[in-house]
Parts: sequence; structure tokens; C-alpha cells
Amino acid sequence: MTVLTAGVVAVIFGSGAYLLLKPDLFRVVVGIVLVSNAATLALMASGLSRGDPPIAPGAGAEVSDPLVQAMTLTAIVIGFGVAVLLLALVYRIYTSHSTVDLDELSQAEARHEAELEREQVEV
Amino acid sequence: MTGVLTEAVARLLLAPSLILAAAILVKGYSDVGDGFTAGVVAGLAVLLQYAAFGYRRVERVLPVRAAVGVALAGLALALAVAFVPLLWGAEAVTHYPRPAEHVVHVGTVELLTAVAFDVGVFLLVLGMSVGAVDAFARAAGERREP
Amino acid sequence: MTPSRLLSLGGVTLAGAGFVALLAVWLLGGGAVDLPWAPTLGSRLAFRVDGLAALYGLLATGIGLAVFVYARAYLPIHLAHQGRPEAHGVRLYAFLLLFLVSMVGLVTAQDVIVLFVFWDLTAIASYYLIGFDRQDERDRRAALMALLVTGASAVLLLVGVLILRDRYGTLAIDPILAAAEGDRATSTAAVLIAVAALAKSAQAPLHFWLPRAMVAPTPVSAYLHSAAMVAAGVFLLGRFHPLLREVPGLLEGLVAVGIASMAVGGVLALTRDELKQILAYSTVAQYGYVVFLLGLGTAASAAAASLYVLVHAGAKCALFLSAGAVTAATGENRLSRLGGLARPLPVLAGATGLAGAALAALPATAGFFADELFFGAALERGAAFAAVALASAALTLAYIGRFWTEIFLGARAVEADRLPALLVGPVVALAGLLLAAGFFAAPLARLARDAAETTWRAPVDVSLAYHLDARPENLLALATYALGAVLLVARRWWWPAALAAARVGERAGPERLYHGGLELLNRLSDRIHDVEVRDLRTRVAAVLVPASVLVALGVAVTGAAGVYTTGSIAADDVGLALVLSLAALAALAATFPRHHVTIALVLASGGLSLAVAYAFFGAPDVALVVVAVETMLGLALLGVFALLPRRVLRREARVPTSGRRRWRDPLVGVASAFFAFVLVWSALSRPAPDESIAAELTRLAPEAHAADVVTAVLADFRGLDTLVEITVLAVALLGVGALVRRRAA
Repeated sequence: MTVLTAGVVAVIFGSGAYLLLKPDLFRVVVGIVLVSNAATLALMASGLSRGDPPIAPGAGAEVSDPLVQAMTLTAIVIGFGVAVLLLALVYRIYTSHSTVDLDELSQAEARHEAELEREQVEV
Repeated sequence: MTGVLTEAVARLLLAPSLILAAAILVKGYSDVGDGFTAGVVAGLAVLLQYAAFGYRRVERVLPVRAAVGVALAGLALALAVAFVPLLWGAEAVTHYPRPAEHVVHVGTVELLTAVAFDVGVFLLVLGMSVGAVDAFARAAGERREP
Repeated sequence: MTPSRLLSLGGVTLAGAGFVALLAVWLLGGGAVDLPWAPTLGSRLAFRVDGLAALYGLLATGIGLAVFVYARAYLPIHLAHQGRPEAHGVRLYAFLLLFLVSMVGLVTAQDVIVLFVFWDLTAIASYYLIGFDRQDERDRRAALMALLVTGASAVLLLVGVLILRDRYGTLAIDPILAAAEGDRATSTAAVLIAVAALAKSAQAPLHFWLPRAMVAPTPVSAYLHSAAMVAAGVFLLGRFHPLLREVPGLLEGLVAVGIASMAVGGVLALTRDELKQILAYSTVAQYGYVVFLLGLGTAASAAAASLYVLVHAGAKCALFLSAGAVTAATGENRLSRLGGLARPLPVLAGATGLAGAALAALPATAGFFADELFFGAALERGAAFAAVALASAALTLAYIGRFWTEIFLGARAVEADRLPALLVGPVVALAGLLLAAGFFAAPLARLARDAAETTWRAPVDVSLAYHLDARPENLLALATYALGAVLLVARRWWWPAALAAARVGERAGPERLYHGGLELLNRLSDRIHDVEVRDLRTRVAAVLVPASVLVALGVAVTGAAGVYTTGSIAADDVGLALVLSLAALAALAATFPRHHVTIALVLASGGLSLAVAYAFFGAPDVALVVVAVETMLGLALLGVFALLPRRVLRREARVPTSGRRRWRDPLVGVASAFFAFVLVWSALSRPAPDESIAAELTRLAPEAHAADVVTAVLADFRGLDTLVEITVLAVALLGVGALVRRRAA
């Protein structure tokens, strides 16, 4: 089971990392979501015990580790907040630059800087 | 896309979703769920209204403009529960009643400061998600009708 | 009443009340406040009014009072002249207040960290005040220069005091000074502190920011040059003097810096044309006196330094305010265009003359006593020092004489408007005080003595009186007057030489280094920006690839035998294994589709598979949250796609991967998958410890009246974590609102 879980974490993480390298900002966001999914899965899998849900456990029953669950919840919530913020950021980039492509953005920025420098020379 | 059927379903689902959220919230201490989930569920219910009716009609019917206020109130409530005990020298996030003290029940709901803390989380998540949805819906609406 | 007026009134009140309070505390023998602040660091909010604090505190509040009163009349004229609304005055008053409060905090602080905080606050306040006319680029540059020079050197102060803490084990100033020894750590700290102080006091070669800073509105310049900012530097030298004394060679260094500043400031003050520039270079020279005196390192020189700061502050403030008043009356700020103003502005001329006389140490003003102590302290160390003192005092007399005569005497060059009483009043009041102290010097002597005793840590004798005999101090004073008068009269002879010296200083001075350094930093940051930030992907790969390589190296070096266990798949694990495989497949599948909507749906399916997996893990709470979050996130993605025009998304779907990237991206993906695999596998292979926190938490939950252990952990046992988490969430979602609402420019 450990190999399988590690393998699944690895595949999810690798797919996320691959998407992070894309010029399309939406794919970058999806990549970040995948990477944080991989992290939460790794966290959950590192629980020390597996068994019944830790809700009103009876005496002697094998119970799943509640600590990793609480930590995972925190991680998921923060990951969610970050993902939504990134999404808003991408939307904002679209409204001010009319593109969501990193290559086009850096070209536009280079043009803008060259323009600024030209203006400065003129001044 | 927003036909009569969508509107009817959205209208029908609003109250049950909110009740579900409330249930998840108050039962969080004794069963599955917590303030965060409840907040997202309630937020989804409001999101459905936006999808069905558009932001102008939603804003007329639901108090969505108070969203940020609700969120800040939630944050304030959580902060208060966490830090007010410092005033009498207890540690931060000390909950009452203390262990082994008697808990007041209202039906099957237990009255605990920990639940108040969760209510704060709920209000924050609800307010924030409705606020974000409203922002996006406005942006969409304004783009369509400049 | 407008906010601006209200603040100004508040400033007047606060400065006045602060002055009275400090005076009372000082006269009653001092007082102290000591509150805990950061107990784990050993830092306390400790303040005490001792002699040194009384002197500088009374200056900060007393001069502050004069400046606030003056600003009430000056600022409306200044703002109206630039066509700005009166409300802009709020900034000036607010930062002046901050300046005043942080000066008082600085001089009374008894804890080095608190001292540093106030030190930095003065730099921040001065930045905003110097750049008050922010529409003017010259002003902004001057403000930035002051901030960089004094702010960068403030870091040295911080490093210095931290070294001291390391060496002496305390943050309190008194024990450090009492235990000070001349070892290496102490010497390093002392040098760092001295450099910070000298930069703040605008001493050569870090003097260049001060003359630029005179672009600030006049009340600010007056305050900056007399009782705040520049005074803070010599205050620091006075405060840490017992420490500086322990370090061999440091005091000699101070003497050298003082002499250099006296020379540079004096010569440049002599050649400038702009009124405030003359006064600014004069400040460099005058604080050079003080640094020189502190460097002499005797009881008499400590007393002379204290008295000098006091007299200089009053005189320099009056001169600045007077320069501002002259400009307000005539609209001119250059010596060459002014003249003969004694007739239309007799009161101002008289008061300015008195202040100038005090600075030039003429008898019947407090300045005479200051120079008497100055000469006395120099004589004590030898004839060479006395010669230096004589030369710089003569220079002072010459440039102040030139300043006053060319404004107020000679042919009338411009028309002068009537001045409001508030513009003249503070000058007259300060001049009156300087005159009164020329006859009743006892209060001044007591203040200077107390301050000197704090600096010197031993009783110091200060007695101020006129002696009608041929003692060396008197002879030196007479020589000064003679030499100064000769300089004034024989201007034709030395003028070209002084001008040439000033020009050389401009061309090859340390200011060039500053500009060069700034340029270099700018270019460096551009380069880093180009390499790092412009291409996000390069940076991501630059993190992922080396991390993978390091992990591979780690595996190769440590050996893998026995570390990894494969685990077993029990019968009821089959479902879990299937769902996990589904999640992995979904993640892989998310990398292929062209269309964004497909990606979003595949992503959501992967997330929901994980939710099922968590249910198998026995974590229904987590599963529920994942379902809620994935739904919300999927809808958010689809919603944003709907907001964007089709063509933008279609362009992204079509983007062909360029040749190099086609191979690089998957390789990086595979490498990072490998690194994640090894790390996670080795972590999961660790055997579980016998005692787990989980059992403890499960046992405690019922005591917290909770049946759901996870919720109990979130809301109770680790409640602070949750609080931080929701704060992060609130900030993130507030950011979403701000980003989406703001319309594109």
C-alpha cells in the first residue's frame, strides 16, 4: 500500500509540476491545485493509524489518526484560498493585459520597459 | 440557459441548502462537519441563486451587500472567543464550559464557546465566498452591459 | 476647524506640554518608566529622563513648539504658492508630530532595541517631511537620499547593538556602558554605532544628504537641522560615549571626522548662494564642532559639546525660520538677489542678527560661552587643536557675517511684503532666549552640566561667566573676530579659491559614489528581475530540478536497503487502491486536454476521487470538506472561463509547444515526480511509534465535550492554528474582491 500511495502522490505532483511550466496561466493555476492535492494526500497517508472515523469512538476500537485529519483540513482550506486568489489574479491580468499567456506577458513587459527607457532618454 | 426550470429549482433549493448548512454547523461538534464546510455549502446555495437570477435580482432579494460585514463579524467572533480569555489570565483559545463542567443542551445542540468559534468560521467563510461570487458576477454583468 | 488646523493646534499643545513635563521631571531630578515589552527577547520599554535626555528632549519639544507655531503661518502660504489644498498640511503636521515623539522616545530610551526603533522612526518621518512637496522630483530625490543614507546606516546601529547584546547579555544601556571593555566585539559594535551616528549627523564624508534635504518646507528644515535628525546623531555619540572611549583610536577618528566636516561645511557655506544651502553647510560644520569635541575625550570637552548643541539648536532654528520669512516676504531665496532688507523688516533683521551673533560667538549672547568652552577644551589638548578651533570659528563668523550683511544691508534689491506676526515671533523669541542666556547663563550651564555628566559618567564642572582678562580663551575669541572680519572684508582674495574648492568637492565628492552606487543597485535589480521574475517557469524549474537532483544524491549516498517497505494490500484496501489510481489517472489526464473546460472537469473528478479515498482512510470530515472545496473550485474555474472571451482561451488551447520546451517540460515533470515519490515513500515507510498523539487526542475529546475528535482538534486543541488559517483565508478572499472589483485602467 505504501508504494502505491507514494506512486499516486508522485503522479499527481509530477502532473502538477508539468502544468506549472506551461505558458497558459490557467494551466499554472491547475498545476498548483494538483501540487497541493498531492501534499494533502501525502499528509493524510502519513496518519499513524487507520480505522473507524474518530467520531465518538468506542473503547478499544481502532480509530483513524485525527491529528493528520485536522492538519489536512487546515491545508485544504488554505490551498483553496490560494487557488481562488490566483484565479482572481489571472482574471485581473486578463482585464489589464488582454492575455493570459506568460510569453505574451513578458514580451509586453519588455516592450513597456523599452518604451519607458526611451521616454527617460528623451526627458 | 437560465430558463424557468433553473429558476424554480434554485428557488426551491435555497432554504433546504441553508438548513443543511446550519445543521452541519451546529452538529459539527458531535458529528461530521464543521464551520468551514457549512460556510461553503451555504455559499454554494447563494452561488446557485446568482447563476439562476443574475446579480441584479439576487442583490434585490438577498442581503449580499452585507457579505464583507458578515465575514468581518465572523472573524471578530472567532478572535474574541480565542483571545477574550486572556483578560482573566486564562490561555488563548480556552473554551467554556471547562472539562467536567455541566453543558447546557438546547434539544440535541450543546452550548459551547467552541461552537461559537465554529460559528465565527462559518460566518467568515460564508461572507467571503458570497463576496467573491458577487465580485465575479458584477464583473461579468458589467462586461456584458457596459 | 479643518483637520489640518486641528493637527497643528494639537502639535503646538503637545510640544508645549511635553516641554513643560520634561522640564519638570528634569528639575525634580529625573524619572523613569519601565514596562515589559518582549520578555523572551529581554527587551523592555524602558525610558528615563537623565541629563542627556533632558537636554535633547527639551530641545526637541522646545524647538518643536517654535516650529509648530511658525508652521501655522508658513504652511498656508507655502501651499497656496504651489496651488495645493490646505488639507495637504495634515501630512506635514502628522509627520512633524511623529518626528517630535520619536525624538523624545529616542533620547529617553534605556533599551537598545527601543532606541533603534525610535532611531528608525526619525528616518521615516524625515523621509516624508523632506519629500513633502512630492510633485517635485528634486524633493523626492532628496528625500530618498536622506532615507538611504540614514536608513542604511541605521542597520549598522542595529548590528552594533545586537553585537553588544551578544557580548554583554543585556539590552539595557546602562549595564552595557558600565561593563564596557575594549575587546574586539565591543570595538566592532562601537565603530558601527559611531558610523550610524555620523551619517545621521551629516558628517563628512556622509554629509551630502543634508544640503539636499533643505528643499523641505522651512519649518521642517529648521527642525531637522537644530533639534531633530542631525541632533540625534551627536546624541547617540553622547549616549554611547563611555563605550566609544574604551576603543583605541575611535576618538581620534571622531576628531578627524569633526575637522573634515568643519572644513568642508565651512568652505562650502562660504560659497553658496541659496540661503538655506548656506545654513545647511553651516550645520555640517557646526556638528563637526560637536563631533570634534566629543572626540577630544575630556570632561571639559563633553561639557563644551553639550552647551554647543544647545546654543547651536536655538541659533540655527532661528536662522532657518528667518530665511523662510525672508523668502516669504520677497519671493527670493538667493543671497545675490537680496539686500537692504533691514529697513522694511527691522525686527526680523535684529532678531536674525542676534541669532547670527550667537552662532558666531559674539559676546552678550549664549554663543560666547559655547565658544569659550570650545576653545578651552581644544587648548587643553594642545596648540594644534586650538589652531583648528580658531580657524573654524573664524570661518563661521565669516559665513554668518556674509549671510546677514548681504540680506539686510546694502542697496535695496527687492520689495518686501509685510510679514505675519507668527513668522517673526518664533525668531524673536529664540533670539531673545539666546540674548538672555548671554547674561543669565546659569540654567544653560546646569542643563549642559547634567548632560555632560551623563556622557562623562563623572562630575563635570560648568561655570559660565565673562572674565575681563587676557586668558587664552579670550585671546582666541579676539583672534577669531579679527580673522573673521578680515575674511569678510578681503573677500576678493579668497573667493576664487573657495569656489574652486567647492567645485572640486561637487565633482569628486562622495555624492558621486552615492549616485554610482544607486545606479549599480538599480542595474543589479533589473538583472535579477530579468533572470528570475520575468520568466516564472524558469524559476519553477530552477527549484524543482535541483531539488530532484539533491534527493537522488541523498538516495545514492545513504543507501536504500531496509529503508523502504512496500506494505501490504489487505482485502478491504482494494477499493482504496482503485480510487487512488483513479485520482492519479485524473491528474495525468489533466495535462493533456486542449480545452480549458475539459481540464477543469478532469481536475474536479480527480479531487472527488481523492474525497472518496479520504472516506476510505476513515476521515469523513476531510472527505466532506474536499467535496465542498472541489465543487466550489470547479465552479470558480468555469465561472472565470465564462468571463473571458472565447478567442483568448482558444489561443491558449492552440499554443504549440516550442521545440526545446517539448522535451524539457515533461522531463522536469518526471524528475519532480521521482523526487516526490522517493520522499513520500521513505516517509511512509517509517514504522509507527508506540505512543501516538492520536490516542491522547481521542482520550481528551470527550472532556472537551466533543464527540468528533477532528473538530475538537480544530476548534479547541489547536484553535490558534485554525485562527491563523481563517485569517489567511480572509486575506486571500479580500484580495479576490479587490482584484476583481478594480476596473482595468
